[in-house]
Amino acid sequence: MAYTPQFYPGKTRIAQNRRNHMNPEVQLEKLREIPDDDVVRIMGHREPGEDYKTVHPPLEEMDLPEDYVRDLVEPISGAKEGHRIRYIQFTDSMYNAPAQPYDRARTYMWRFRGVDTGTLSGRQIIEMRESNLEEIAKNFCIDTAFYDPAVCGIRGVTVHGHSLRLDENGLMFDALQRYVYDEKTGHVLYVKNQVGVPLDEPVDVGEPLPPEKLAEITTIYRKDNVPLREDTELITVVKRIHRMRTLGGYMPTDEVFKEL
Amino acid sequence: MIEVEVFPHRYLKAKTTEKFLNEIYSLDTVERVIIHGQPLPKTVYFGPARGTPVNHSERKVINVHGVPVELTVMAGRFWITLRDDSEIEKIEEICKSLFPFGYDLKVGKFTRTTPTVTDYIKYGERAVNMMDRSLIGLIDPRSKFDSAVKIIPKKKEEETSSKEE
Repeated sequence: MAYTPQFYPGKTRIAQNRRNHMNPEVQLEKLREIPDDDVVRIMGHREPGEDYKTVHPPLEEMDLPEDYVRDLVEPISGAKEGHRIRYIQFTDSMYNAPAQPYDRARTYMWRFRGVDTGTLSGRQIIEMRESNLEEIAKNFCIDTAFYDPAVCGIRGVTVHGHSLRLDENGLMFDALQRYVYDEKTGHVLYVKNQVGVPLDEPVDVGEPLPPEKLAEITTIYRKDNVPLREDTELITVVKRIHRMRTLGGYMPTDEVFKEL
Repeated sequence: MIEVEVFPHRYLKAKTTEKFLNEIYSLDTVERVIIHGQPLPKTVYFGPARGTPVNHSERKVINVHGVPVELTVMAGRFWITLRDDSEIEKIEEICKSLFPFGYDLKVGKFTRTTPTVTDYIKYGERAVNMMDRSLIGLIDPRSKFDSAVKIIPKKKEEETSSKEE
């Protein structure tokens, strides 16, 4: 069945931003250029320049039983090489972060292959073959308008902070202080990797975006920005899903939608 | 006796907390201040880096009227006990000058004044009956008095300041 994906309902700017995130054809604005090695150091799974560790020989050399699914599905490059699976985890502040956990999950699913994501209230983990993960982390998750140095945190553990007030410099609270605000340059520096091990040299992830820009690109409905109640189309869809689940059970009938 | 809650719209740096406390303690009617905020751990307590020192720049010893106070939290809320309401406007002025990002100020009742069962179990009936009334409800029952309460002497009487997680 051929159809055009609609990605997300809603007529407001927030809904449009969500659609932009999810739509693989939309190129998000590139805002910074963090070197590959620095991203590797923040992630902390291997040293920059070190070979990827493998968990199995390359698929071509393996003697696998015949399976037609294997012929249908093209493995991603990391899987072909047998690279191990690693993770990167982001925390997004409620103060107009560009992305948020559910948006991240849907975006990853729409845009990438071979990705396993876990959604929690305050954090979002991506698991993937290491080489592919690094590529995505750099080119999509950090370099584009999907990320902001102040209100998004790269945090493997101790993620607490997404629902707290920001600090005086406008950074999201981090008990482990993985990143600091450089008051001279106005940049955010990562001084620890995502689990809290100090880095030899700080990694500069650039300047935080101005609040107006964040309010423009965010995917979070907020009463002081664009409230959810303003998006009537989205409310209709949410109500419809709610009715289908609660009143229709596994057999949604026309009766259920009568009053909508 | 009344209480005032000061709720800045941002978490405060140690430097701002120090300035705020010094100015607050210069007022005559202030009897005690409870600092409420996010705990800052000394070492990483979970994950692969467990045991590594955090060295958080905001966890440090500040100086309040000559008394060294170790800040173990990132301050986000203050409960100030006042003798009467004559100096609330002064508190408002201090907040205005120190919190340009905004704050909320509420007058009300935020801590308890009567001992609870936990107090009796922890300190014993005699100690509770004899203890200074201003210490009741000052700290979390699980925290240690020495690390959580600092007494800042005033010219005439004593003041107490507490840190709570």
